[in-house]
Amino acid sequence: MSGPAFDSLFRAAGVTGWLYATDVDTGLDVGHGADEPQPTASMFKVPLLVAMCRRADAGLLDLGERVTVTAADRVSGPTGLSSMLDDVTISLRDLAYLMIALSDNTSADKLLSRVGLDPVNAVLEGFGLADTRVVQGSREMLASMDVDTGHAWPFVDPDDIARLSVLDPARTNRSTAREMARLFGMIWRDEAASAPSCAWMRGVLNMQVWPHRLASGFPYDDVAVSGKTGTMPTLRCESGVVEYPDGGRYAVSVFTRSFGTALNQPRADAVIGTAARMAVDHLRR
Amino acid sequence: MDLVRHLRYFIVVAEELHFGNAAIRLGMAQPPLSQRIKRLEEELGVRLFDRSARQVRLTEPGRLLLGESREIVNRVDRLHELARQGRAAVLKVGVPPDLAATVLAALVAAFREHSPDVRLAPAETWTADQVTALAEGAIDVGLVRHPVTAPGLTFGQVLVQAHGVLLAGDDPLASVGEVHLADLAGRELLMPPKEGEPGWHAEVLAECRRQGFVPAQVHQGAGLGLVLAGAAVAFGPRMELPGLAWRPLLGSPITSRVSTAWRAMTPAAAGFSAVAVRTLKESAGMTEEGATPVRRVSRRPGMLA
Repeated sequence: MSGPAFDSLFRAAGVTGWLYATDVDTGLDVGHGADEPQPTASMFKVPLLVAMCRRADAGLLDLGERVTVTAADRVSGPTGLSSMLDDVTISLRDLAYLMIALSDNTSADKLLSRVGLDPVNAVLEGFGLADTRVVQGSREMLASMDVDTGHAWPFVDPDDIARLSVLDPARTNRSTAREMARLFGMIWRDEAASAPSCAWMRGVLNMQVWPHRLASGFPYDDVAVSGKTGTMPTLRCESGVVEYPDGGRYAVSVFTRSFGTALNQPRADAVIGTAARMAVDHLRR
Repeated sequence: MDLVRHLRYFIVVAEELHFGNAAIRLGMAQPPLSQRIKRLEEELGVRLFDRSARQVRLTEPGRLLLGESREIVNRVDRLHELARQGRAAVLKVGVPPDLAATVLAALVAAFREHSPDVRLAPAETWTADQVTALAEGAIDVGLVRHPVTAPGLTFGQVLVQAHGVLLAGDDPLASVGEVHLADLAGRELLMPPKEGEPGWHAEVLAECRRQGFVPAQVHQGAGLGLVLAGAAVAFGPRMELPGLAWRPLLGSPITSRVSTAWRAMTPAAAGFSAVAVRTLKESAGMTEEGATPVRRVSRRPGMLA
């Protein structure tokens, strides 16, 4: 059987797309440009989450430890602590929840400062995820955009976008559709960290609030969708796991780059779900 | 003398033209066979065989009487067959009108093999009418769809079958591997008549509503013309029909449960019940009722936000 027509689906939504989907339990898979390096935007928070859990498993970090996030820690962003005005004292565990469920940049950077880039990359290396690396935090990513364009947000001019290093996998956090899905598969198979840690990570990833991408492809009460989005000008992506009522579990990762530079492109968001559904449907045939 | 039996001996000898071979075929010794042929010749007053040559030959009168003898023997056999059939019991059973023709055929064939002496008289009627017919004694056994409430009825083993959805072949949903009930939102639904299948109706429509499919209209009937026309969808077991597409339903939300039903158990009814369970498993792909899996409703953060 020939693979689904991903190309025409993505094109109709005004994007170029890359995708990888795999049955978490059987390894059956389908891909579309699955091994092309991609900037991960906010999806770098997933390897950070895993590395944090492994350090906690090893006794190097106490996730119940409370830290105070002050104005000096605050990174710009539309959600969570980034949007708040006052100091917050919060546990590392809850920072991780905000980092994943709301994609809170401030929480992510606070955690990154406790875990460190090297341990994150060591974990990725150990998992054999050679194309996935975390080289910067949210603050650096956001600052680079101002430097690259010479001005502040918004970035909608095509020339500006062409200059953004956060869209160049060689110069920013990166992965591939295959490796992001593999990382999610490991979390769902209790291979990424201890079983209790993996169970907690699955719960947090399931609480992600965004309904417009992966989840939009599975608008059913009896299908669970967990994941983490990533967004930069023209880049929209999400990786996660879709769980069917019959127990089937599918790790999916979709990256898209829109032809247009408008920030609001609901069709480009929705095609991530549509393509994922098409891929899962293909795996289940 | 038993003329018919003697005619049977005559026919065999005429076919073999050899007393020894004929005796072997008849499972008897040659001398008594020769004796009986002689007695028949005496009875009829003609020589049937010419035994003078080395080879046995039919005489002219023998040739004439052979055809007539065959006719008599066949008629007698037919007489016994009719008498046996007249004695045979009839088992009146009710079957759902939407039972696939191949399944009904398998059911009839399997029962014929199981109880050759009992003639099966199937009547196509919906569950509610079968319940009435059972109460009135108009049928002996029914094949009913659950849920059914009828005091005084006993049910055989319940078999289950996950239904899929039938769509017009050119329906956009036919291009996907699995269809979710929610995907059917806005479409019209074809169901068996509500009066005939009240329990099934209520159960299916409640499940559809629970999963986001509230049919704009529910048509009633067993023919699939509306589905073929693309005007409605229907639920049913996997089937292949020209112009139609069958797709499984994601999560198997629509499951048909059927069993035999009877008021008074007779050996024939018990036989049919056992044959039905076996045939429905083999020919209709039905399975034994297991524990109903608990439907898990996924948590989406927007739900109570």
